[in-house]
Amino acid sequence: MDFTLLHLYPEAMSLYGEYANLSVLSRLLEDLGAEVTLRTVAGGEVPDFSGADLIYMGAGTERTQKAALSWLMPRQKALRQAEEEGALVFFTGNAMELLGTAITDKEGKRFEGLGFASFTTTETDKRVPHDIIARTDFLDTPLVGFMNKCSVTAGAAHPLCSAMDLGAGNEAEGGPEGFFHGNLLATHITGPVLVKNPAFLLFVAKRLYEAKGEAMPPLPAGRPWLDRAERAYQVTLTELSAQIKGT
Amino acid sequence: MRMTLAILLCKALRFAGKLVGKGSSLPGQFALKLCPDVLRRVKLPSYVIAVTGSNGKTSTVEMIASVLRAAGKDVVYNAEGSNQIEGVTTLILTHCTLGGRMKGDVLLLESDERYARYSFRWFHPTHFVITNLYRDQLTRNGHPEWVYDAILPALHPDTTLVLNADDPLVSCFAQGHDRIRWFGLESWSGATVEHQGIYHDGARCPACKGPMEYTLYHYNHIGHYHCPACGHHRHTPDFAATGLDLKEGILTLEGDTRLALSFRSIYNVYNILAAWSLCRLCGVEKDTIASVLGSYILKNGRMVTFTLGRHHGVLLTSKHENSVAYDTNLRYIRDTERPCTVLVMVDAISRKYFTGETSWLWDIDFDLINVSHVERVVLCGKYVHDLALRFDFSAIPQEKITCYSSIPEAVQALAQEGEEDLYVVTCFSDRDKLLDKVQRTE
Repeated sequence: MDFTLLHLYPEAMSLYGEYANLSVLSRLLEDLGAEVTLRTVAGGEVPDFSGADLIYMGAGTERTQKAALSWLMPRQKALRQAEEEGALVFFTGNAMELLGTAITDKEGKRFEGLGFASFTTTETDKRVPHDIIARTDFLDTPLVGFMNKCSVTAGAAHPLCSAMDLGAGNEAEGGPEGFFHGNLLATHITGPVLVKNPAFLLFVAKRLYEAKGEAMPPLPAGRPWLDRAERAYQVTLTELSAQIKGT
Repeated sequence: MRMTLAILLCKALRFAGKLVGKGSSLPGQFALKLCPDVLRRVKLPSYVIAVTGSNGKTSTVEMIASVLRAAGKDVVYNAEGSNQIEGVTTLILTHCTLGGRMKGDVLLLESDERYARYSFRWFHPTHFVITNLYRDQLTRNGHPEWVYDAILPALHPDTTLVLNADDPLVSCFAQGHDRIRWFGLESWSGATVEHQGIYHDGARCPACKGPMEYTLYHYNHIGHYHCPACGHHRHTPDFAATGLDLKEGILTLEGDTRLALSFRSIYNVYNILAAWSLCRLCGVEKDTIASVLGSYILKNGRMVTFTLGRHHGVLLTSKHENSVAYDTNLRYIRDTERPCTVLVMVDAISRKYFTGETSWLWDIDFDLINVSHVERVVLCGKYVHDLALRFDFSAIPQEKITCYSSIPEAVQALAQEGEEDLYVVTCFSDRDKLLDKVQRTE
């Protein structure tokens, strides 16, 4: 099995170790016996989505995000077509906001989004970076991580996370977070969310196999890095859960 | 009248606070309640110097204070690091006469980059030194551009900005500002043509987001750059480090002044350069500055030597959530060239607030210590699994790595075996967990 992972604008849209999402995904797929090709697209370069199984973009500063939008906008139709043909579009941090219909910055300037989803985002002058615990309907264990945003996203009809046990969702404290519909998978969680959440990593890998009409092979035994990821997850979950009890 | 009362109250509370060991922000807080614009009313010294930036604030401020004192100036500065408005108010009012005139020739302030605009609402510095802006404590700070936007309103048009010319984001502060003096490092043997590091925050122009071009890099995104799209570029420094030999520990300033470096790190070079530039602007003679800064030993204890078992140890205090600080210390270890063990400890990510955030580990270039003289890497602390996972994706051979889930276990194991040099990389939040168990040496 061959997989091609496309990383959009890694130098620009990289607020906090986002590249590691692709490092662990590549390692997992290779451990499962697949051949993985990782392609990167530089800012301003015209991306070629053909053959891509996963198209990833991470978080950036507010200004870089607008630049990323301008780089991607001319390829909006091609990206939509790739998604409809089965490529998983995985956008994290404020890259998620690009998928909606518009982003309004804190000066009130409106930027048209890619329009793949009906939500809109408004940036504010308040930023409260915080740790998060988020529940989903498709994983047995919650997601853990960190969110670093200054915006509110309204009207995300298909959230990725049904509720937050710690931290703010798209619109409100405790509320639903992210977006997951068809092959669009998005969360505002910043940084290497797949590193911190091995169950989510396995979920993404499974989706990639399913998109090719195959079942994900069973994990071979003796993957110490995955064991470490699981233990790291447990420590973080314990630590963050203590924060909920403490408040 | 209100001002005098506020000064009196502040002095009294500070006196009482010192007796019971209380911090320095409370007296200022009360004084501000009594007289909110007290800082506008008081008469400040002719030099009001502020220093801000992600890294090097404390060291730079210490150096400036030492030089200016050596030059015979009476310097008042916030040595306790109370760098928000309440602490600044306490500092100023406790040094004021009841008539509202501040004693001293120089008021020197280390300023928190996020709160500078509040501190400087009522008065403005004559000189504002901005050292650098990097990814630092993003769980509080958001990101460097967010910090940039927070500092911007604190910059008064009458203030002389003393800027790091080699930092492309810091250089943006010059846009629309008339009074600028630049400091920078010229080419040296350690500068590289290619970017070094895990991430490249200088890859895009901070002004227009076009692709940035560099002729050389000093470290991370610090170097000589220009943007072909909008023209944003490094300015020729008014105060330049014209020669640097980190191996020999020699720094040459403005072509004619040589300094011996007590700590041979590029970081230290920039701190010295910032302090040098500011002191020159205050009219201090080159010789006077050089005699103080030459072999200047930092008093902030970021580098501590000790023995543990038969190991000779050096603690290099980094800051968790600050990959540049880590990279700098890892580079220092790489350049030592003597057989050693490296101990990395991540137990409490911050001493000031809670976070379980470990993304920053992925921004650190641990491959810097993938060298033969680093014989062992010991990882420990509550977040040891996050650390170990990060090392799974480094080039360092797994057989070199040992993990302990607590710091005491790691310390005990090291005490019992080996006699190679030991370098410890950790944060203020965790270092006492080691220092309590070792024999410190001078």
